This record gives sequence, C-alpha cells and structure tokens, in this order.
Amino acid sequence: MFCIIAFIVLSILGIFSASNRQLAKEALDCVLRRVTLRPCTTGFDEKMKAKILGYVITRSETGARFLNRYFEPLSWIFFFLLVGSTFFAARGVFLYYTTGSCNGLNQSGFCVFDPTGQNTQFSSVDESCPVTSGGDVVLTLEGVNLSGFPRLTGGANAKPIVFIGSYGCDYSRKAYPMIRRLVQRYGAELIFLYYPVKEHSDYLAKVGYCAYKLDPQRFWDLNDRLFAADKSRLEDEAFVQGVLEESGFNAQSVQFCAKDFQTEWVVKQQLAEVRKTNFYGTPTVFIQNEALIGPKPYRVYAIALEGLLYWLK
Amino acid sequence: MNITKIRADFPSLEVGNGRKPVIYFDNACQTLRPRQVIEAVQRYYQEFPACSGRSMHRMATEVTREVDQAREKVAKFLNAGRKEEIIFTRNTTEGVNLIASALNWKAGDVILVSDKEHNSNLIPWQMVAKRHSAILRVVHTRADNTFDMEAFEQALKAGPVKLVAMGYTSNLDGVTIPAAEIVKRAHQQGALVFLDAAQTIPHQRVNVRALDVDFLAFSGHKMMGPSGTGVLYGKYRLLEQLEPFLVGGDTVSSSTYETCQFLPPPEKFEAGLQDYAGIIGLAAAVQYIQSIGFDTIEKQERLLNEFLSEGLEEIPGVRLIGPSDPRLRSGIVAFYIEGVDHHRIALMLDQMANIAVRSGQHCVHSWFNARGVAGSVRASVYVYNTLEEAKLFLDSLIKIRKVL
Repeated sequence: MFCIIAFIVLSILGIFSASNRQLAKEALDCVLRRVTLRPCTTGFDEKMKAKILGYVITRSETGARFLNRYFEPLSWIFFFLLVGSTFFAARGVFLYYTTGSCNGLNQSGFCVFDPTGQNTQFSSVDESCPVTSGGDVVLTLEGVNLSGFPRLTGGANAKPIVFIGSYGCDYSRKAYPMIRRLVQRYGAELIFLYYPVKEHSDYLAKVGYCAYKLDPQRFWDLNDRLFAADKSRLEDEAFVQGVLEESGFNAQSVQFCAKDFQTEWVVKQQLAEVRKTNFYGTPTVFIQNEALIGPKPYRVYAIALEGLLYWLK
Repeated sequence: MNITKIRADFPSLEVGNGRKPVIYFDNACQTLRPRQVIEAVQRYYQEFPACSGRSMHRMATEVTREVDQAREKVAKFLNAGRKEEIIFTRNTTEGVNLIASALNWKAGDVILVSDKEHNSNLIPWQMVAKRHSAILRVVHTRADNTFDMEAFEQALKAGPVKLVAMGYTSNLDGVTIPAAEIVKRAHQQGALVFLDAAQTIPHQRVNVRALDVDFLAFSGHKMMGPSGTGVLYGKYRLLEQLEPFLVGGDTVSSSTYETCQFLPPPEKFEAGLQDYAGIIGLAAAVQYIQSIGFDTIEKQERLLNEFLSEGLEEIPGVRLIGPSDPRLRSGIVAFYIEGVDHHRIALMLDQMANIAVRSGQHCVHSWFNARGVAGSVRASVYVYNTLEEAKLFLDSLIKIRKVL
C-alpha cells in the first residue's frame, strides 16, 4: 500500500528533482508488481520505510517506535485519505469546470481555481455589492409571465436563455457579452429582464421598455451599447439620449414614452414578474431551467445550454 | 601522526552545503581519496595526457616515465624482486581472472579456496573447474571464522593441488590468514599460491618476497587510489610461463598475418591503452600510505575496532561475525541483529547521522547461504576515522535497536 502513496507523492516531487524521479520509477515498479500479485523485489518499500524511520528517530524515538510498529496500518490510513482526497479533488475540478465553482452551482466558499470568488459574486437586489451567497433560495421561472420582455428569437427549436441583469452591475456587464456570444453561436433564444440594482437606474428600465416597444430590432443594439457604456454616466439622461440616437432611436419619442404613466405601471408589473423568480442578485441566467448566479466562465453557460460536449457542436 | 591532519587531506570529509559531515565506515568497499591522489590524477590530464610506451614526443615520454616510476614505487611497496613483476590491472578481480585464465590447467587439478571467499576469488575458480575439469575444494574455517591450518593441511595432502587461492584478509570479517605458513606448506606440496590481498594491502605491511607468495592481487580503490586501478604481482619466472590473458596492442614486439612475438612481462599482460592517470594516482596513494605509515594505520584501526566491538557487544541481539577479539579483525566489524533487516539498519544510519556502512552479503554469498544468515551490516574503518565518529555510530545504533 505504501508503494502507491509513495509513487504518487514521488511522481509529483519528481517533476522538480531527478533523485525523486528515480525513486518514483522504483515505486511504480513496486506498484506494478503488487497489482499483478507479485512480490516487490526492489526493496523499495523497505528502503523508504528505513529512510522515514531514520528521519523520525532523530526527532522522537517514541514516534519512530510507533511508526515502525504501525507502519502498515498507517499506510492504509494514508491510502484511504489519498483516495478520499483524490475523489474530492476530482469532484472539485469537475464542478469548477461545469459550474465555475469547486463547491457546485451558485455555491460560495473557497475554490482554489477561483480564489477571489469571481465566478460566484453578484450584485444583490438590496444593493449590497458584491455578495456571494443567496442561501437556500429556490430560483424558478414557474409562474413568471415573460411575454412582455425583450425577446431575441432564435432558430427553430431554439433553447431559451433568460438573462436578468442590470446595466450598472459589474457582474452583469461581465456576463452579458458571453450570453450574447452563446446566443449567436448556438442560435438560442434570449429573453432579457432588466432589473435595476443601483440607485437611480429605475429610469433605464423605462427607457429599455420603450425602446423595445418602439423598435424591437434596434433594442438589442441599444442594449449592447448600454452594457458596454461607462457605467458612471448611465444616470446622466443626456448621455442616455446620445446612446439612444446612436442606436437609431428618436430619443425624444423614447423619453416621452418613458415618462408616460402607463409605462411606469407596465415596468412596475414587469419588475414584479422578475421578483417572482426569487432571484437575489444580478446577473441571474436561466438556461434549461437551471439558474446561474454571478458571472460564470463562458464554458459554464455553454455546458448548461449544450451539455459537456458543447465544443463539438 | 595526527589524525586531524590526515583528515584535512580528504575533501570528502569536509563539512559543506549544510549537510552533516559524512561518517565513512565503508572503507572495505572503497576508501576515500586524499588530495594528493586527486591532484596526481589531475596532473596527468592537465600536463601530459598522452600514450605511454608508444610515441616519441615529450608528453609521451613524460607519461612513460611516470608509469615506470609508478611501477617501481609499487614494486618497492611490496618489496618485489623487480618492477617487471608488477602488472597493472583494473582491480583485484581482473588479477584473479588473469591467473585463472593464464595458468595451464589440466583435468583433475585441484584449487583450494577458503569458505569465505569474495565472489571475485571464487567464481573464476568455479569457471576453471567447469572448463578444465579441475576440482575446486573448500577449506573450512573454524567456528569463529579463523583459519584452520589442520583442515588446510589435510586438503593439501588430499590431492594434486595446483593452486591455493585465498583471501589474505577477509572482507567479511577482517580476519587475516597466516599467509607465510600457508605458502610454505603449499610449496612443500608443489602447489602455487595466489593471495587476494585487496583487504590487506591498505592496512598492513606486505612483503611478497618474505611471504614467498607466487601471485598476489589488490585494488587501488581500497587503498586511497583511483577507481579502476589494481595490481597483480607475480614471480617473474612464473609470469614468463603464463599465457597472456587479454591480447592486442602493446603486448607484442612484432606480428605477421599469421603469428606474433609477445613482449616479456609485464607488457604482455597489459593489453591496449592503460589507465595512465589511474596508475599515476595509484603511485600517489602508495606514497601517501607510506607517508602515514602502517604503524599509524594499524594503531588507529585497532583502537576503533576495539571501541566498536565493545560497544556492539553491549547492544542486545547484536551478533558479531568473526572472532570476538577485535585485534584479529583488522578494521572490519560485521554484525547482524536477529529479526532485523540489515539494509534497514544501514539506511537508518545513513538517514540519521550520514553514517555510510555496507549492508548485505558483501559478495560473500556462499558464506551467508551456507549458514542461513540473510546478511549483515559491515562497518569498516580506516586511518582517518575517529573515536567521535565511532561513538556516534554506536549511539545511533542503540537508538535504532530501541525502535526496531
């Protein structure tokens, strides 16, 4: 049992040291002999045991005596720990690959591959930004009326992606281009739900609603521009007017619509619909009924949409 | 002579790189080399790295002169009758094989060996016995591993002994055989005598003429000389009669397409280009040993062996190989602990205190196999080892014994 542990440890150390590489080869030979039910004739295990005992004995005779007596059981314990930790490490790698976090979808906690937690941060709807955990809330699209929201239709059998985001939220701004790329690459259907998580950005909800109402085609250009724009200027109505005009809108018509009482009422209804999803931060992306909170790597969205072999499609 | 001063000559004993200083107790395998030997080897490569005995230019002449001087130094060191009796080899093993190959064997010839020969002085004779239908006879030692002269006398008288081939000093337990008496009795029965003196030459004065031994071989690396060097001594008249072993360049004075004219000894036994650097280094080692003196060497080895033997006897379960009197064991202390793997002990000593010892069967498998002993740990000391080192060795071993 000791050979297996030694082989793995020495293989890693062997990357940096030639002497350990040689020992790793001996350990491998020992492992191969053991798995084919032959005795280990290289004396590798004896050699390593003696070396370990020689090291321990200079620090503690009692420790060395204990180690000598229970070397085999200790080897088994370390073996199981190794198997366990290998399983959890592999699981962590898989989860990171598929969800962007070693701990699973939308789970916070330290992940060695994402030490700063970039993939799990989001802007909270209560304006505390950033946060990383929403507790055990169940996010759902059930009972949510999506009919009035901007919709970019894909091809036949297009899979729907519902994106809840805010122009002023850094995390939404990071995720949005990836979702657009995904929609373009796989011909998915995109439904955009604007939710203002920043102060004074309610106004942009009305602008968006009106722009889509006036010209659904040009709306997506406007949307792209607002997500890419300098966010400190999004509260500046004059700036927004400029963006509207760049997208080919009549800014006055949009402004007029935005200040209409009817628009305010509809937007309030829409925000109420968004809240029915139980979402607690932006961006929240529903793909195939799976909710992904925070800006994930592109592959995570792609896997959620097309499966693990997305890159073959 | 001051041991501290001697130690200063050995670069391997210097402390460096934050490591513990080595306690080198594997001298029976090979000794460390003093600066004088290293510099002599280096001098060849730096100053006259040319062929000896062939070319006429100045560098070649210099090498020829140095090699000739080396031969003369070795001859004097052994008190040989003439320098032509010294043949340079790669090691003792090559010397044994040379004699095994060059003697004129007949079916039924008897070869006598002891029961604790190094494989190098056993396997070549086994091959001779196989190839020439000769008989290999083993003279058993006493219970304490010392030489049994009566058993030897009986074996001598039992048949036509052509050659007595024995280890002068055993690498297993350090016991030196009564060589002069053995040679005398062998000659009385008309037998030749070959002595494997690999473990003798570095530790005690050997006078081949006084011994009247016919052949004697030893290695450079066990006497502070370079690796890959050795010497075979042979009485000149016997060497003349021997067939060459390896043949080729520098062994003949002339040749035709059909035949050749061999040179006289030692040239006819030194085929091809020789290890000139090694030979020059070997001469430096001889000179170095002479400068220390065998009195100093023997005194220090005895002191250490007595200290080690006494200490080992106090450790429970330790069994010494060979006679209990350390004075009979040169610089060698071989032991084993029942139920404890000898390699483990050696590895732990190395790991704990950088103590280098040999573990295993020390190329004397026949002795171990005959007695059902798995192996032993062998500590072999030399003139540069100290009592402090011996004490640390014993302290470490006591700790190991408590743990294993």
